[in-house]
Amino acid sequence: MTDFRQRLFFIGIGLSLFIGVNALFIQIHLLSVVAAVFVGIVLFLLFRGEQDNLTVDSKTGDGVVDVEIIHHTFLQMNKLISTQMVIIENEIERVSCLVHEAVGGIAGSFKYLQNLSLEQQEMINSIISNKKNTGDSEHTTLESFVHDSSKTLEDFVNVIITTSKKSLETMVYTDEMVKQLDGIFKLLEQVENIASQTNLLALNAAIEAARAGDAGRGFAVVANEVRSLSVNSTGLNNDIRSEISLAQTIIDNLRKSVEHMASADMTSTLKAKDKVSLMVEHVGNVNNETNRVVDELAALGPQIIDTVATGVRSLQFEDLTFQTLASLKDNLAAISSLSQLLTDFDKTNDNCAEQLSNITLQCEKIIEHTQQADESRSVSQTSMEEGEVDLF
Amino acid sequence: MTVKKVIAENSRNVSITIEGRFDFSLHQQFRETYSSCNDSGTQFLLELSKATYMDSSALGMILLLKDHAEKIGGNVLINRPSEEVNKILEIAQFHRLMTIKV
Repeated sequence: MTDFRQRLFFIGIGLSLFIGVNALFIQIHLLSVVAAVFVGIVLFLLFRGEQDNLTVDSKTGDGVVDVEIIHHTFLQMNKLISTQMVIIENEIERVSCLVHEAVGGIAGSFKYLQNLSLEQQEMINSIISNKKNTGDSEHTTLESFVHDSSKTLEDFVNVIITTSKKSLETMVYTDEMVKQLDGIFKLLEQVENIASQTNLLALNAAIEAARAGDAGRGFAVVANEVRSLSVNSTGLNNDIRSEISLAQTIIDNLRKSVEHMASADMTSTLKAKDKVSLMVEHVGNVNNETNRVVDELAALGPQIIDTVATGVRSLQFEDLTFQTLASLKDNLAAISSLSQLLTDFDKTNDNCAEQLSNITLQCEKIIEHTQQADESRSVSQTSMEEGEVDLF
Repeated sequence: MTVKKVIAENSRNVSITIEGRFDFSLHQQFRETYSSCNDSGTQFLLELSKATYMDSSALGMILLLKDHAEKIGGNVLINRPSEEVNKILEIAQFHRLMTIKV
């Protein structure tokens, strides 16, 4: 309808211009020109009136063409909003999946790390117990072994010294025994003297018996017997002497044995003692160093567990992220309802103004709802540090 | 290797000096230096600064000297043992048994 009026207006203007120009060229009466210009002015004024009417029409909803445009615009807007919403929804879904997967992976890693740490702790404990104990029934440790070795060496030295002392005492007895044997030799000499004197006496007696003739024959027999006794006695003396000489030889051997027993060289013992002392020092040092390292390792375990706990706690960001994504979905729903309002715009309904004001009203409601949701959201957690919830 | 014996005038301080190796070969000489000293409270000073070597029999001899000294209520004092000898005395822990003046 508007197009038609406009065309009509332009046709009028064109017509009056045509008439006016023609009148000038063919020199019609000035009055006709004035009339044509007047008609143009009237039409122009009329058109302006129509323009004003048009504005009023759209406001009152009487203009059917304007409703068409609004409806068309609304449809376009709706299309745009729907496209954007689909993209945003997909992205939110993708973020959710990514966060969920990542958190699952990280949590698994942390659990694994925790187990490894516990395992390590157990190993350290077993090292500690192994170090202190060789596992035998007496619970021998390296320190006690070295200590025992030192003690054994001391005992060994004591045994050597005691043996030497006793051997030397034996030497005293042996020397006394040798003196005794020398005494026996002297006595034997006396016995030998007696025997030789007896022999001599027997010889004299035999001579005297021979001089006495028949009367001394019996005495001669006795003298002879005495002489043979003295000879036997000398033989016995020699036997005793050789026996004692043998005993002296044996005593000499005994002396050598005792000397050997008494004289132990202490140089090797000295070296052994030095080595044991060195070992005691070394074991002490190694022990201290091992204790220090083991203590440090033992202290590391709880630290790792603490760190893992902190990491696990930090995984609450998953919750917070999901909350944020959920509220984003709320916002999307608001936009969606706006889109629905635009779709619901009825182009056949003549009361355009009412529909528009209805849309405005609905918009206000949505805004109010969104603001409330946002306020309640800001009350909820905003920082991970505030929450100390252990998720596992 | 020699054994020297000096008896002080009061006969209660007997000094025995060992030079060179102190081993079994000295045992008779060594015993003779003290076996006749029977005055009660006699102090035996064993001078070992010139002793170059000592084996276990020397330790045994010193212990026998100590037994003798204790029997007559005296004591034994080892004076200035050489470094080698002192090590042996340390292993034998003689410092627990008698005074050793280094």
